[in-house]
Amino acid sequence: MTTWKEKLEGQMPEDWAREIDIFENQMELRRQGKVEEKLFAETRLRRGAYGQRYDNGQRNDGTGTKPLAFPQGQSTKGPDTVWDAPGMQRIKIPFGGMNPEQMDVLADLAEEYSDGICHITTRQDIQLHYVHFEDTPPMLRRLAAVGITTREACGNSVRNVTACPLAGVCRDESFDVTPYANATMQFLLGHPDIQDFGRKFKIAFSGCRQHACGLVTMHDMGAIAVTREVDGKTVRGFELYVGGGLGAVPHEAVLYDDFVAEDEILPIAQAISRVFARLGEKRNRARARVKFLVKSLGIDEFKRLVEEERKTLPHDERWTAYIEELPAYGEKPLKDGSALNGAGRPEGFEQWYDTNVYKQRQEGYCVAAVTLPLGDITSYQMRALAEIARRYVGESVRTTVGQNVVLRWVREADLIELYQELDALGLSAPGAESIVDIVACPGTDTCKLGIASSRGLAAELRTRLAAKAVELDQAVRDMRIKISGCFNSCGQHHVSDLGFYGVSRNVGGYTVPHFQVVVGGKWVDNAGSYGLPIGAVPSKNIPDVVTCFTDAFLKEREGQESFQQYASRVGKKALKEKLGDLTKVPARDDDAWYYSDWGDPREFTIGDMGTGECAGEVVSLVEYDLSFAEELVFEAQLHLDDGQFEAAAEKSFKAMLQGAKALVKMQFLDVTDDPDHIVSEFRQRYYDTEVFFDRFAGGKFAQYLFRRHESKEGAGDAASARTLVEESSLFVEACHACSAKVQAQGTAREGDATSSVVTLEI
Amino acid sequence: MAHSVDNLQRIGVKFFLSEAPDPEKVIGVFHRWIQNGSVDGMLIDVADYSHVEQGPGVLLVGHEGNYAVDWTRNRPGVVYYRKQPLEGDLGERLRTVCETALQAAELLEDESDLGAGAKLRGDEVQIFANDRLLAPNDAGTQSAFQPALDGLLDRLFNGSSRQLCRDEDPKERFNMDVKAETGAAAAALRARLND
Ligand code: SF4
Repeated sequence: MTTWKEKLEGQMPEDWAREIDIFENQMELRRQGKVEEKLFAETRLRRGAYGQRYDNGQRNDGTGTKPLAFPQGQSTKGPDTVWDAPGMQRIKIPFGGMNPEQMDVLADLAEEYSDGICHITTRQDIQLHYVHFEDTPPMLRRLAAVGITTREACGNSVRNVTACPLAGVCRDESFDVTPYANATMQFLLGHPDIQDFGRKFKIAFSGCRQHACGLVTMHDMGAIAVTREVDGKTVRGFELYVGGGLGAVPHEAVLYDDFVAEDEILPIAQAISRVFARLGEKRNRARARVKFLVKSLGIDEFKRLVEEERKTLPHDERWTAYIEELPAYGEKPLKDGSALNGAGRPEGFEQWYDTNVYKQRQEGYCVAAVTLPLGDITSYQMRALAEIARRYVGESVRTTVGQNVVLRWVREADLIELYQELDALGLSAPGAESIVDIVACPGTDTCKLGIASSRGLAAELRTRLAAKAVELDQAVRDMRIKISGCFNSCGQHHVSDLGFYGVSRNVGGYTVPHFQVVVGGKWVDNAGSYGLPIGAVPSKNIPDVVTCFTDAFLKEREGQESFQQYASRVGKKALKEKLGDLTKVPARDDDAWYYSDWGDPREFTIGDMGTGECAGEVVSLVEYDLSFAEELVFEAQLHLDDGQFEAAAEKSFKAMLQGAKALVKMQFLDVTDDPDHIVSEFRQRYYDTEVFFDRFAGGKFAQYLFRRHESKEGAGDAASARTLVEESSLFVEACHACSAKVQAQGTAREGDATSSVVTLEI
Repeated sequence: MAHSVDNLQRIGVKFFLSEAPDPEKVIGVFHRWIQNGSVDGMLIDVADYSHVEQGPGVLLVGHEGNYAVDWTRNRPGVVYYRKQPLEGDLGERLRTVCETALQAAELLEDESDLGAGAKLRGDEVQIFANDRLLAPNDAGTQSAFQPALDGLLDRLFNGSSRQLCRDEDPKERFNMDVKAETGAAAAALRARLND
């Protein structure tokens, strides 16, 4: 029987084909138990084969946690990851660029090995879910045959290199960054200097400062195209930023150099990689991103080290070879440009044209955005879109960080026909890059770390907002909503007008899905500033939060201010007050609806749940204490907003102490207010015993408290104060999660001290 | 000479519905099926794609195969497609896949929550192959597949006359759409397969 390997022989780049053979051999060795599971997990991740929810072989079906009896038993492809359990395949699409042939193959793979859906991610990748691991090698071969590699799509490596989807056709760019993004990807792919990172490394390119497309400030390395006049000649280069990142504790990238000449961008990227590999944290994953290295060294020292490293690099032809070919580089339109004529316009066209069509700087051509709900496109649609691309634009298709697809170089005169073809496929939804076009990470649908259903919420909001999109005021339509299923920020909730990330709260002994509401983030200016949480709201009330804030914005708006400007003018305190009763959860007997998540009728759980007879009373004490801790975090945020960095730092430390104390009191009521006492009791009862440990993050959040307690560090500058506030917020969230876990396991009532809690409460 | 389609395992089938049920209700039904182990196979999770127009709808993801109430090309139907190998020759595998789909369709017809939406039309079925290597969408595959298909259709539609049609786009997966003169409810179709 012919295999894909035989069929595609000679069609794959030789080195890629060899790498896939090696990976297949490693799979066999792992099956035989000859490769250690942790090592194999990293090998698998570097091929883009990721874990997925329930791959530990168990799932709560709504009545309790049940084992999933996979046929190959408990044989694993990584720690706690069952071999047979379906996983996710991430496929790197450098700068989001795809051609129709690649789109056909992506569609085929989704159909044959996944669930018929290609999912576009917030970093221009494509993900396939529910993939059986044994299907990985043929998938990788079929991708390789059309020029796509999944190498280093996950794992501790250089991830997909992203770039503005409008690069090359944008009216505001300094120059087209596409060839630079592509060269960076090619140069660093599999490079020996990137093989020893402690964590992932993300790179983005942007053609200008003011727009959001590149999101440079939230990347480990971000480059903004700039030009300079030197000796009467225009010279290309990049304003280079390092140390940005969202994740649990977001950092805005700092300026490394205001002009790195184009021929230096690759060697500098290489030198940065070497410094990161050599000095970056390796053991503590939570502090291993380059942002922590930049912060601990300071940007000047970091830059000095990079420049020293640069001097030692042996010359590499590839640094500049592509630059010599740049004059010949450029996308060729398929047809001659011509303006939209007076032809009759079908129903829906005008609305779509208003939101989804961008006039290129090249006269007679447009970029047409295909809005994908939650970033999803079916195999059938993808294949048909490839066909449309062939006929209208040739090779010019890109994915976007807004989880859409754009067709570039569409002749204006073809727009009506194009719209009709998209419409027939269900791909003509208007509202690209508007409040309706919600970004969401996979959340509890498929992500192992998800707490709440980001996609369920996004689908609900999208349905509600789309129904009234036409009536929405333009100022509201221009807002952005981004949702993450947990604090890890894959949905980029920090950089939107309204951001939400999933948390949970214990109410009367039941776990209730909530979202933290994040306001004040800035999407423009390459994600110019990050929002901060103002309070947790039950998941089912989030649509009302959106209505409440958009209504208030319209009523109280001054002049032409944006929501972000409005939020910063009225302040987080006033916005938090508007939440009012929306933060409340009715008792389960009164309204059980709140106790399940959007799109999932199972009773909500973040693990196995149980309620002891006295749990309600114990809960009320700890929940009360934890809500006070939350209040302190909020006050810290207000200080931060007012530029009172020391006060913000002090308050955030107090919030952490209050959170720790709340937990300690569950076991030992007589804990004092002395920070040393609280920290030592917390360490002994919750850290050393690992009771506080998160299944994935381990003891990371406790380290925030310990470090702050040991160093007694003050705020210093705005960035440090902000980090302390973020850390305190996460620590308090972790206290909530720990308290829920402890109550569910009944461990709160172990020992004498706990019984005194119960007695006291009764 | 043997054709590669003889080795086909990733067989799928879609029985069309008279109208579309409410996806939100289907989600609830599928979760309940997992709790009760109502259909064959190891059931893992429910995936909701009802937000995608003309999409795969709501899936009940299993290890051996996926079930779905599917809206592809705006034509709602009950789908089952196999992901893991089955015993028997091609005809036998085709019969097993159809029977599994019909078992699910029968249960859906009985779900009072779904109302009339989940009633099978019973006169049209689509067979497809999620394997472009073993079953490219061409005339060669069709003629090699035909004997197994005829065997299935003779039983399923009790010898009633039928029309076969294939979307010949070579990029599409191999597919056969069959319309019979007379239809039947899911239970009756299933009983015929087991006769
Ligand atoms: S933000 Fe959290 S839930 Fe969402 S994909 Fe990232 S880790 Fe998963």
